[in-house]
Order: sequence, then structure tokens, then C-alpha cells
Amino acid sequence: MSPVTATVLWAVPLLVAWLWRPRRPASPSALILLVCFGALGAWALWFGLYAHSGEPPGFAFLKPTVLYWTLAAVLMMAPLLGWGYPVKFILGAYFALSSREWRWINGGFATVYTLLGGLNLLVASKASYKDWDGFKFACMMNLLIIVVLRLNFVWLPILADVSIHLYRRATAVSRYLSGLF
Amino acid sequence: MPSVERKPENFARLLWPDGRSEQVRLGATGKSGGAGEIFSIDGKPGFVAKIYHAATPQAHLARYRRKIQWMIDHRPELPEVPAEYQDIVQLAWPEALILSESRFVGFLMQKIAFDRTLELDYLLNRRQAAEEGFDADYGKLVTVSFNLASLINCLHAKRIAIVDLKPSNVKVYKAELYVSILDCDGFHIATDEFRSDAPQVTPEYLAPEFQDKAVAYPESQDAFALATIIFRLLNYGIHPFTGVASDHKNYPPELAGRIKRGLYPYGRSASKSVRKVPASVHEAFPDGLRELFDRAFASSGDSRPSAREWVDALKTYANKQSGRMSPCDKAHLRFSGRPCPTCLRDALIQGAEVRRRSFLARVQTAPARTLSYVRKTLRQTHSSPFQAALAQAQLTLVQLAPPAPISTRNAIALEILWISGLLVAYWWAK
Repeated sequence: MSPVTATVLWAVPLLVAWLWRPRRPASPSALILLVCFGALGAWALWFGLYAHSGEPPGFAFLKPTVLYWTLAAVLMMAPLLGWGYPVKFILGAYFALSSREWRWINGGFATVYTLLGGLNLLVASKASYKDWDGFKFACMMNLLIIVVLRLNFVWLPILADVSIHLYRRATAVSRYLSGLF
Repeated sequence: MPSVERKPENFARLLWPDGRSEQVRLGATGKSGGAGEIFSIDGKPGFVAKIYHAATPQAHLARYRRKIQWMIDHRPELPEVPAEYQDIVQLAWPEALILSESRFVGFLMQKIAFDRTLELDYLLNRRQAAEEGFDADYGKLVTVSFNLASLINCLHAKRIAIVDLKPSNVKVYKAELYVSILDCDGFHIATDEFRSDAPQVTPEYLAPEFQDKAVAYPESQDAFALATIIFRLLNYGIHPFTGVASDHKNYPPELAGRIKRGLYPYGRSASKSVRKVPASVHEAFPDGLRELFDRAFASSGDSRPSAREWVDALKTYANKQSGRMSPCDKAHLRFSGRPCPTCLRDALIQGAEVRRRSFLARVQTAPARTLSYVRKTLRQTHSSPFQAALAQAQLTLVQLAPPAPISTRNAIALEILWISGLLVAYWWAK
């Protein structure tokens, strides 16, 4: 894939997201998550697409730990600073839970990510490359679980809304065309 | 060439059983079968000639001649018919040999009046029968079944079997209800002084023990085919091995396979592996007939009812004076004391038609109804309490927060960011 195509592929969705963004002020916990992921994404994009050989050697083993501990740090620090619970934005705020319940879930996620980050360091130093690679992908199962939840509670209702909109449009177009002929 | 060529001016010589010989002229009729062709005979309107195909090998012709000669000499006694019906031909039995240049080429048989008869196949479909001028009712169908069983019983008494017994080989006299069997030269004969096999079979009417094998007991085969024909006659053409499988993987698609595996769903004790066709009216048959059907299809060949048993069972129903058949409220003939099969069938068909129309209407409106349902669910505007409860049950397995007051575009923008974050996490760790 050429750098131009790759740039278009990540830039266009972000442009759409920017144009359709909610106009109300964002929560600080969402913003801090956005900043972290922006930084990680920029790093990954830069060294993945444009400066492949520039990444420090051996850093690949640390990358999962950096990801998990960054998330854990955000999850722990945001409530202490009064910015709310970032887990609401990771998981999605579709469950009607009390603040206490969100605090526990936030803490749970922070603990899991801390452990995963530490475990990654342990496996990277003790196990073979192949085993570490397997462990790394196994840990990413937590992402899949979140995707499934979000698919069910967020994406499907959006899809239904879009389908209804398109169906109405199609019906109107077909009515218009049949009127013409 | 020891055969008559298919030209209208063909001449041949008839050799009667008493030794008389006469020259006749044959005329093409255009009717042809697997073994030969049918010709009309000038000056003999009551007869036709079956001439074997020109390509028939000499050895086969020699076998045919021996068999036809024996048949001419041993005409079986047939069921008696009233004096006014003496012109009815119950068997297209050979009457004389036909020679061409002193060589055997075929045989003479009585002509079946095609304008007075119809193939038994037509009786399996009431509409087709009506189009052919036959108004089928259960009285007539039972009588036809009885006459067919009687004819086969007479043949079996002479140790002659049909083997390839099927509806298309049987003609029915529309007014008199007598039957006529065609292709007599293909019958199986097993007398002490003469024997001739019948290799031709039709898998849909072949008994399970003879599927993929030679027919070792021709009378038993005839009994199976006779039971199948009677079942179809009385059950609106439904074959006794047509059913609805409960396990599609192990249900053979063709009837022969189902016969072989004994998948008969119309027995008095229900089959576990196959269900009856919904339109079947077999439950309106009397117990005596159902027992015979069960013995014919659900048990081994040893206990299969013979043609004689069918004659005994059907005799009283075929006799108008017996009172074993009586009209229902709508004047259809039915087996006395049993539900009316015609009314039962009408109700089943009408019900099926109503269900079919309702199903089609539902299919046609399904997309619009689905979208309406989804829209109402999302907006929580169900007017029916039941639908509202159903929608709640689907979406609130866990208690959900009320929908965020944001537009679809805003929601899409947030999800693009979320998915970008997910991809970053994956790509970063990868």
C-alpha cells in the first residue's frame, strides 16, 4: 500500500468524524483518552508507514506494556482529578449504572490493564519470541469482548437508524420515479 | 428382414389357433412402445396387431413366439361381465400369430376402445379425470379397484403375473368401470409346462425386497403394486411412500429409495422417521382396508395381502346394495361410519390455500413491517402493549441507559473515533 493510499484511508474517516462531531463540550476523561490514543496512533502511523526503520530496536516487546499501562494510568488518574470515569468511553455508556458501579468497573479495568502490562514484561523476558507473540494476541481478546458489547448496543441501533433512513429515501425515490413514468 | 416395415401398405399373414391362415393389410397407427409398434388391420376393426421392432434380434423373436403361442393356447378365465358388456376387453391377450414371409413378427390382439376408456393414471387426479369425462367418486374408485384386483386374481390363479403393474399399463372403461391391462406379452408365466420371465419393472411400484434385485416372487410383486395403485386411487394420487421426513439427511429423494427403506407414513401406528403428507385422507378409510395397506407396506412380503384378499375386502364396498358406502351431508359417497374423505380433502386443501395466501401476504409485507418494528423499538413508540413488552425484553436484558440525545451523524462520528482508537490499540501492540 502506498503512503498516499494509507494516508487517505486514515484521514478520510477522521475528517468525517470531525465534520459530524457533536458540538457540545467533550468530557475531560474522553479528551485525555483521545490525546493518548492520538499519540499512540501517531507513533504507530509514523513508524509503521513512513519511518519503518526508525523505531528503537527491542521496543516492540515493550509496546503492549506501554499501551496497557497508559490505559491503566488514564483510568486511575482521571477519577482522582475529577474528570469522570474513562471506562464509560471504552465500554460505552449504554448500561444504566450508578457512579459507584462505574467506579468499580473503572478500577477493575485499570487493575486488569496493569496486570496485563506487567505480565507482558514477564513473558517477554522469560519466554521465546513465538510464545510471547501468542501471549500478546491472546491478551487482545479483551478488545474483542468490548467490540462485541459495542456492536450489540451501539452499532446495531445506528445501523437500524441508517437503514430506516435509506429505506425512506428509496421509497421516496421509487414513488417519484413511478410518478414520472 | 423378419419384421414388418412401418409402411401403410404392409401385408402380413395371420395364423389362428385353429390352423386357419389369412392375409391382412396393416395400417400404421403411430402408437409405439419399447418392444414394438401397434398397427390397425384392414377389415378387422375389433383387432390390432403388435409388431415387434425391426431391430429385435432373432433369438428374442424366437422366445416371443414360444411365449405368444403358449398364451394363445392358454387363455385365462377372466372375471365375468354382464351380457351387455361383452365387448369389454379386460386383457389385450394374444389371439393369433402374425407372420411376414413365413417368419414370426408379432401377434394379433383385441382392440381396446380408446374413446370409451382412459388410463388409470388419470384417475389419480380428479381434475384430469373430469377433463376426460370421468366424474370420480369413491363408489367408482372402489369399484375400479375391485375390478383390477379381480382381474389380477384370475391371472394369479393361472400362475401368470404382471410384474410391471402400474397405472399407465391399465385402462379403465369410463362408464362400465371395468379395467383392461395392456402389454400382456410382458407377463411372467410360471406353469409346469412353460416358463417365461418378465424383466421389465418400474421402481415406484416395485416391492422393497425386489429393489435392485430380480423379482423372485412375481405374485408378491403384483400384490405390492396392486396395493400401491389402490392406495393412490383412494388417496387422491398420493403414493404410499410419499411423506415428510423428520430427518432430511436420511430421507431418500426418490420413491424407490423410500420403498426400499420401508418409509411408509400412513400406518395405523405412526412412523417415527417420516410423517404423512398433510393432504392425505387415509384416516377416512375403513379399518379393514387400513389393515391391508399396513400389511402391504409396513410388513414383510410374506404377510402382504394377495389379490384374492383385496377382492374379498373390496367386494362389499363395490356392491351398491351392501350399504357399506353411503352419502355424506354433501352427498359425497364415503365408507359408512367413517368421515367423508372428499369433505376432508376439501377442508385440507381450503385450509392449505388460506395458509398459503396468508404466508405470501406476510412475506410481501415483511420488509416494511420489520423496519416499522425496529423504528418503534428504537423510539419506544410501540402502541401494542405486547409488542412494547417484547421490545423491552429484547433490548433490556441488562438495564440500558436512555438513548443519548445526539443525532445519528454525531453517533457515527463518535464511533469512528472509537474504532480508530481500537485500531490504534491493535496496531500498536501488533
